[in-house]
Amino acid sequence: MLSKRRHEGYLLIDHSNSPGIPGRTGKLESATYTCSHCPRVVILNPNRSRPRGYCPGCNHYICDHCEAIRAQTGCKTFKQIMDDVCERALKGA
Amino acid sequence: MAKRSVSVTTITPTATASGATNLADATYPAVLQGGSSTQRTAIIEIYLGGQATSSAPTYMLLANDGQVASGSNTYGTGQMDAALDGASAALAAPVKTGNTWATNKPQRSSSLHLLNLSFNAFGGIVRWVAAPGEEIYIVGNTASVGEASLSAFTGGTPGALGAHVIYETA
Repeated sequence: MLSKRRHEGYLLIDHSNSPGIPGRTGKLESATYTCSHCPRVVILNPNRSRPRGYCPGCNHYICDHCEAIRAQTGCKTFKQIMDDVCERALKGA
Repeated sequence: MAKRSVSVTTITPTATASGATNLADATYPAVLQGGSSTQRTAIIEIYLGGQATSSAPTYMLLANDGQVASGSNTYGTGQMDAALDGASAALAAPVKTGNTWATNKPQRSSSLHLLNLSFNAFGGIVRWVAAPGEEIYIVGNTASVGEASLSAFTGGTPGALGAHVIYETA
């Protein structure tokens, strides 16, 4: 069985040898995922207790912004949007 | 499919607001603009290594651009674009990755920030890697999804950094 974790990317922000920035010091190493409905990348907060946005249409985690839209209009992935853009470009529309 | 890397050895980015503000030439590490109206490019990895010699909070953003750049595109000092595989054939319509433009300058979208890579350029390091199939895509060469820029947002005191962006064009 495939796990959703296969979608995870990786983010490292290392201030081990730096004073860091306000609110972020030390070393952050976290999984990320790319919302399938928009190109945004979400850094997974391990302390989050609310459920993450999930789209059963594309079987993918999505960001909170797109989850609100999905609840009203359903699934439309970013790849479908890009296909539409290419289609329009090819047709010269 | 050809993986390429656009890199800059050292640059001190200029903090620039999103919206209707030009990203001035050679004040940001890179922009990626599709080489044709139907080209798709995946951004696979971004690395930023701080080179400042004193504390320099630097609020780097990868974002789509509300205004895409136009005109002749050239590379700034220390900036270059190279294939990761020496056997790669040159693209018929190469992705435009220089940070200097002859006509319109890129303007970062105020609503399509894709990655916030804030860090302190005094010894800080940022590295983001997409999972296979989860890359950030730019498609076509028109606003907003046809171009993405890596640049500094307002705030902090941006310091010198080196950077690379690895991308693959379909």
